[in-house]
Amino acid sequence: MEIWITAIIYGLATSGILFLVSLALSIGYGLMRVVNMEAMLYYSFGAYVTYTIISVTGSFILGALGGMVVGAGLGLIVETQLLRKIYDRPMMFTMVVTFGVFMIGIGIIQFVWGLEPKPVASPISAIVKIFGGVQIPAYRLLIIVVAIAAYILIQLMMNRTIIGKALRAGIDNRENVEGLGVNINKIFTITFIVASAFAGLGGALNAPLVMVGPYMGFDMLLFAFITVILGGLGSIKGTMVAALILGQVINVGGTLWAPLAFVGPFIVMFFTILIRPTGLFGKEI
Amino acid sequence: MNKRILSILGPVIIIVLMIIFRYIFPNKITFLTEVVIFSIYVMGNNVLMGYLGYTSFGQPFYLSTGAYSAAIYFAYFGGNIFMAMLVAVIVGFLLSLVLAPGLMRLKSSYFTLINAALCAIGVFVFERLLIDITNGNDGLWFRGNMTATPFLDVRYPKNFFFFVLLILLIALYLYQKMDKSALGISMKATKANPEKMTFIGYNVFLIRSIGYSISIMMSALAGALYAINFGFVNPSLGENTRAIEVLLATLIGGVGSVFGPFFGALGFLGMKDIVSSFMSRWEFVVGIITIVVLFKFNRGIWGLIQDGAGLLQSRKKREKTVKVEE
Amino acid sequence: MSGVDMSQNALIEVDDLYVNYGKLAVLFDISLKINQSEVVFLVGRNGAGKTTLFRTIAGFLHPKEGEIKLKGESINGMGAYRIARKGVKYIHQDKQVFGDLSVKENLELSSYATGDYNWEPVFAMFPKLKILIDRKAGKLSGGEKQMLLMGMAIIGKPDLVMMDEPTEGLAPHVIQDLAVSFKEISKTTTLFIVEQNLPIIADIADRVYCMKEGKIIVEEGCREDIQNLCFEQYL
Ligand SMILES: Nc1ncnc2c1ncn2[C@@H]1O[C@H](COP(=O)(O)OP(=O)(O)OP(=O)(O)O)[C@@H](O)[C@H]1O
Ligand SMILES: [Mg+2]
Repeated sequence: MEIWITAIIYGLATSGILFLVSLALSIGYGLMRVVNMEAMLYYSFGAYVTYTIISVTGSFILGALGGMVVGAGLGLIVETQLLRKIYDRPMMFTMVVTFGVFMIGIGIIQFVWGLEPKPVASPISAIVKIFGGVQIPAYRLLIIVVAIAAYILIQLMMNRTIIGKALRAGIDNRENVEGLGVNINKIFTITFIVASAFAGLGGALNAPLVMVGPYMGFDMLLFAFITVILGGLGSIKGTMVAALILGQVINVGGTLWAPLAFVGPFIVMFFTILIRPTGLFGKEI
Repeated sequence: MNKRILSILGPVIIIVLMIIFRYIFPNKITFLTEVVIFSIYVMGNNVLMGYLGYTSFGQPFYLSTGAYSAAIYFAYFGGNIFMAMLVAVIVGFLLSLVLAPGLMRLKSSYFTLINAALCAIGVFVFERLLIDITNGNDGLWFRGNMTATPFLDVRYPKNFFFFVLLILLIALYLYQKMDKSALGISMKATKANPEKMTFIGYNVFLIRSIGYSISIMMSALAGALYAINFGFVNPSLGENTRAIEVLLATLIGGVGSVFGPFFGALGFLGMKDIVSSFMSRWEFVVGIITIVVLFKFNRGIWGLIQDGAGLLQSRKKREKTVKVEE
Repeated sequence: MSGVDMSQNALIEVDDLYVNYGKLAVLFDISLKINQSEVVFLVGRNGAGKTTLFRTIAGFLHPKEGEIKLKGESINGMGAYRIARKGVKYIHQDKQVFGDLSVKENLELSSYATGDYNWEPVFAMFPKLKILIDRKAGKLSGGEKQMLLMGMAIIGKPDLVMMDEPTEGLAPHVIQDLAVSFKEISKTTTLFIVEQNLPIIADIADRVYCMKEGKIIVEEGCREDIQNLCFEQYL
C-alpha cells in the first residue's frame, strides 16, 4: 500500500514539473500559433544557472530565483527577436526554426558548462510522514505546492486582470485588440516572459531530481510536448490536467512495470490523439 | 525543351557525380555509400514534407522498422539480400496501412508530434518489448548470414556502393515519374488547399494516404540498406534525437523537388563530416545552419542550382536575341 | 472645394497612396481628405479596395508609396495601436467582438486602451447594451454585436471612427436603428464609413468617394448631387 501512496505523491511532483515546464510551450502556441521547441532551453538554462549559483553562494533559493530570471530573460529575447517575426509563417517553419534555436542553445550550454552532467544537492533533506507512516521527502511536497501556486497565479492573471482579458481577446483576434489601442505585442511579451520564468523555475526545481546535463531539455521536450498535446495546444487548464495524468502514468505506471515510466506517456498520448485529435481541452485549429 | 533534357539527365548526372567522387576520394567509400542511402531516406521524407506538407518528427521510426525487418529476416529466416529489402518494403507498406487511417486525419502539428511519439514507442518496442528477438541494446548481428548475390557480390563494400547507386538511380526515375504524374500534382494541390481539393471532388484522405505510404516504404527501404551495409542493427537508429537530421537534409536540399533530397543528403552529411572532424559536438553548427537555410535559402541547394542554371540560360537567350537583332 | 479653410480642418489627409499585398498591387494613387466633423462615405464594388484603404489608414497595412497624415502629422509606418490611441478607431468588416469575453469585459478592454472609463455615452446611445452587460459577446446577435463594436469605438472620444460595412448582413429594421446611431455619433465625431446602403448614404452623407479597381474615381461633395446621384453604377 505504502508504495502506491509514495508513487502517487511522486507522481504529483512530476506533474508539477511537467506543468511548469510545458506552460511556455502551450502559451507560445496559444498566443502566436508558434510551436516553440526552444522553450526547453528556459528549462535547461534554469537548471544550469541554479547549479552555478548554488556552487557559488550555496543558496538554493537564490539559485531558483536566478534560474527564473535567466529563463525569463531568454524568453524575452526569443519572443521579441524571433517568435514575433515568424508567427504568421507555416507551422512547420516555426517548428524547425525554433528547433534550430534549441540546438544552438544546447551548443552554448556545452560550451559554457561542458558535457559532463552536474549534480545538484536537494535543498531540503527532511522526510515527512503522512497517512500514518508513509515517508515522503519534503522536497517533493514543496514542488507540488509551488506548482499549485503557479497554476493559481496564471489563472488569476488570465481571468482577473485586464492584461489577461486583453490577452484572451488578442488570442481570439489580434487585430481587433490592436484596433482598440492596446499594444498587444507588449502583452504577449509579458505573458511569454511569465511562462518562460515558470520554465526556468521548473528547471531549478528539477535540478536536484535529475542530473543537470546538456540534453536534459531534449529529454524533457518530448514529455512537455506530450503534456500540451494531450491537454490540447494552447489550453492552460488542459496543460494542468494532462500534467496530472502523465505524472501518475509515469510514477504509478512505472511502479507497476518499470518501462511504463518512459513509454506510458507516449502510449497515452498516441491513443488520446487518435480518438480526440485536438487533445483533451484543445480547440479546433 | 531544356527542362526535359535536365529531367532525363538529372539522375544520370547524380550517379556519374557519385562515381567520380568514388574515385577522387577512394577512402571515403563508406561515407559515399551512406550519402546514397540517406538520399533515399530523405526522398521519403520529402514526400511528406514537400508534397503533403506534413513534418514528421518520427522518421527514424520508419527507418528502424525497415532496418529491423531486414535484420530479423537475416537473423532468423534467410540470407537473400533482395528478399530482405522486399520484406522491409512490405513491412513498411503494411505499417502505413495500419497507421494511415489514424494519422492522415490529423492537423499538421499533431501529426508531427504523434510521429515523435511513434518514434519513442518504436525504440521501446525494439529495445525492450522484442528483446528476445532483437537482443535489445546489444544489437542484432547477422553479417555472416547474408548470402552472395549473382554477378556482383554486394557483401563487399566496394560492390555495395554500386548496388545502392543502382537503387538510387531507379528510385530517382520513379520519383520523377511520381512528380509528373496525376498523383504528384494532386498531392501538391492538396498541400496547397485541401478544402478546395475536397470541394472539387478529390479524395484528399486517399491522396495523403498514398503519399504517406510511399514515404514509409522509402524510409523502410533505406533502413534495410543501412542494415545490409552495417551487418547489424541496434535501437539507436530509431531514436527521436535523430529525427531532425532528415528534416534538415530535406530543407537544405530544397523541399518538394525531385533532386533536392540527394543534394540535401550530400550537403548535410558532408557538413557533418567536415564539422565533426574538428568539433566533437555539433549541435551549435546544426542550429545555425538550420536557421540560415530557413531564412536565407528557403529553396535549398536545388533552388540555388536552378537559379544558377536559369542565369546561364537567360544569358544564352540574351546572346541569341542579340544575334537575331544583328 | 479645396480651400485654405478646408485643409486647416483636415483630420485625415491621404496623398498619392499605393498599397500592395506582397507583389499584388491593390491601391493606386489614392488621395483623399476627411475634414473635422464630416460624415464621409466610401462606396465601390466588391474587391475595389475599400477595406484595404481602411486597414492602411488604421495602420494594419503599410503603404508602399504615399503619405497618410493625421491632424497634419505623418502616421506612415506607425503601429495600429498607436494610431488608435491617437483617436482613430476602426470597426472591422467582420463584426468580430471578443466572443469569449462578456460585453462588460469587451468595454473594459476599450477603456483600458484609452484610459476613459466613462460608459455613460455608450449606454445613452445603446441602452440595450446595459441589459446585455454580462452576456458572452460571442452570443450576441449581429445587430447587437455591431452596437457593441460602435460602443467600444466611441469610448475615449475618438476624433474619427471608421466603419467597414456596418450594416452588412443585418435586417432592415436593425439598419434603421443603426442609421439613427450614426447620426448621433456624427454629432461628436468624424465618421468615415464604407457602405452599400444607398438610403443611408443619401440621408446623412456630407461627401462620398467612389472607388473602382483600387482607384478613387469620383468624389461627390454636394448634398443635392449625393441625393440625386445614382451610385448604383459603382456598386
Ligand atoms: N490579405 C490579402 N492578400 C492578398 N490580396 C488581398 C488580401 N486582402 C484583399 N486582397 C485583394 O485586394 C483587393 C481589394 O480587397 P478589399 O478587401 O480591399 O476590397 P473591398 O473593396 O473591401 O471588397 P468588399 O466589398 O468585398 O469588402 C481584392 O482584389 C482582394 O482580392
Ligand atoms: Mg471590404
